[in-house]
Amino acid sequence: MAVPLSRGRRYITVVLLLFGFGVVLFRLVTLQVLQAAELTVKADRQHQKTVSFEGARGAIVDRREKVLAMNLEVPSVFGVPTALDSPAQTARALSSVLRVRSDELERKLRQDRGFVWLARKVDPEQGRRLEALQKEGIGVVMEGRRFYPKGPLLSHVLGFAGMDGEGLEGIERRYESYLRGERQVTVLQRDALGRTVFPKGLTAEQGPAPGHQLMLTIDEVIQYIAEKELAAAVEGAQAKSGMAIVMEPYSGELLALAVNPRFDPNALSSLTPDRWRNRALTDAYEPGSTMKAILAAAVIEEQVMKPDSLIYGEQGRMTIANTVIHDHEKLGWVSFAKVIQKSSNVGAAKAGIELGEERMHRYLQAFGFGERTEIDLPGEAGGLMKNPREWSRRTLASLSMGQEIGVTPIQMVTAVAAIANGGVLMKPYIVSEIRDAQGNVQERTLPHVKRRVISAKTADAVTKILEGVVKNGTGEKAAIDGFRVAGKTGTAQKIDRRTGRYSATKFVSSFVGYVPADNPKLAMIIIIDEPQGDAWGGTVAAPVFNRIGEQVLNYLGVSSGEPVKLAMAFAGF
Amino acid sequence: MKILVGVAGLCLVFGFVWERVDIVRVGYQVERLKSEKVKLERERDQLRVKFSTLSAPDRIAKVATERLGMTPPQNGQVIVVQARTAEPSSPQAVPAPVRVASNQFFDGRR
Repeated sequence: MAVPLSRGRRYITVVLLLFGFGVVLFRLVTLQVLQAAELTVKADRQHQKTVSFEGARGAIVDRREKVLAMNLEVPSVFGVPTALDSPAQTARALSSVLRVRSDELERKLRQDRGFVWLARKVDPEQGRRLEALQKEGIGVVMEGRRFYPKGPLLSHVLGFAGMDGEGLEGIERRYESYLRGERQVTVLQRDALGRTVFPKGLTAEQGPAPGHQLMLTIDEVIQYIAEKELAAAVEGAQAKSGMAIVMEPYSGELLALAVNPRFDPNALSSLTPDRWRNRALTDAYEPGSTMKAILAAAVIEEQVMKPDSLIYGEQGRMTIANTVIHDHEKLGWVSFAKVIQKSSNVGAAKAGIELGEERMHRYLQAFGFGERTEIDLPGEAGGLMKNPREWSRRTLASLSMGQEIGVTPIQMVTAVAAIANGGVLMKPYIVSEIRDAQGNVQERTLPHVKRRVISAKTADAVTKILEGVVKNGTGEKAAIDGFRVAGKTGTAQKIDRRTGRYSATKFVSSFVGYVPADNPKLAMIIIIDEPQGDAWGGTVAAPVFNRIGEQVLNYLGVSSGEPVKLAMAFAGF
Repeated sequence: MKILVGVAGLCLVFGFVWERVDIVRVGYQVERLKSEKVKLERERDQLRVKFSTLSAPDRIAKVATERLGMTPPQNGQVIVVQARTAEPSSPQAVPAPVRVASNQFFDGRR
């Protein structure tokens, strides 16, 4: 039987309960109202994680969609030295996987720091082996690493990206703003175990946009042919270096740009900047006799001479402004066409003097010498061309045979492509399309006409002269069976830096031309720097033109148009 | 009546709690699937790089010459035929290049 409480006890009970509720209420008000803002921040800090994401760097592909550069997510390994019990043991275990010396790893792991990189962007296989080790205090994060699956192929054009994914050279640098993925900071919700529950908001759910993809005008097979033949020529001539550019003359598209020696953008650590400089754009050289092709165009366009105009060759020796000009062949009266075909310096000098300073300068400028071609690659030089005010009495003759002027290989091939295509100077380009991650074309490069330089009639006349160079002139070794080839050889003495005079032993051998001459598909320049022994352009560079031209025409399916031979071929099956 | 209200209230509470728990469960599932997607994308990219490496012209030429004993076609062994495919519907013939590999040299050498 329950004993009724006295009134006093009831009051005390009520007061105690009210006090208790009061305390709870006070605490609640303190937490939920007075400290609400501060505690919300604290709670968010524990529940949320702010992560910075960057979209993958865009890929670079050739004109047939073959991948030349692309990003892969690969593991980067870090350590938490403060969480390690035995740095020496951990270092030994990691050493074989990471292929890094264990004492070097141990030194890093003994640092008094909360975070230290042990190896960045290692191979995926190494990452898998590391995960299997499950070492306390060792972690792996994924980072984007640039891969160049074709190795050294096209390395001087592609350039490379740095450790943090930024483009440092070549196309990687020139198109950095397109290739780089979007950077995005995202807040993630996480639980007590640190697992991500929900990205906060729809924007974060979509993730950062990857970089744009670039499609080049380059064809990897043509590039391979050019690099292979150039390497063989450089090695065969024991030359210092070599360059080859293959261009589609009507559009200015580059099909190949080869520089030898090459480098592998996947393994840069031991290389110097000199090795990865794209010398086809950055280095000016004295073109020598290849300039006579330009001279011929100017002289014929200005009607100073016709291809059959006669010039006296002075038996291969002439003095201009106290300087003796020599020819390698003693010529008497010959046609202007023969002067070009036989590469007569005397004849060219006479034609240049007839042309005059003003017109010579105007045509050199019109053909793009002394200015950048504006190709979409970094580091292009404009070449070296003197102001006519600085010309000496010898300059006009010198320019006629390609001296006292510095041109880049890309300038020279672009100028000769203008003769090939009927007289129009095109702007060379190497990126044909920029696409977003979904493959939609964002920008497309169209051929860009810079200006008309000579008439189609003059271009046709010069082509016939240049065909003669290959048929029965200095460029016979450039001839390709079944095709009409037009071109010009060049053998330029280099300046000896020690004496400041032309060297008797150092040459730049070159050949520039196009094929088929009647409907050109390829304009090409071959330059061999400092070949040993026989250094004539016709001996060293012209055969490279032949070998590249023949293989590329086959590859492109360009018909030689010889029905009789075709019938014999079918009979062979 | 009171019991019914009580039961309904309890159901509402359980329903609310179940919904919250399920949201978290689906959240984990979404995260797991996303991780799997990322993993598969990584694998796809790795295979793409591998394919690209294996199909490099340098390597193909090396395998063809060193392992398979092939040689580059000699002068005259590849003949490009400019064929014309005339269709009844299109009066204009469209030239299409056809490459013919010949095993016979023009000069009769084999």
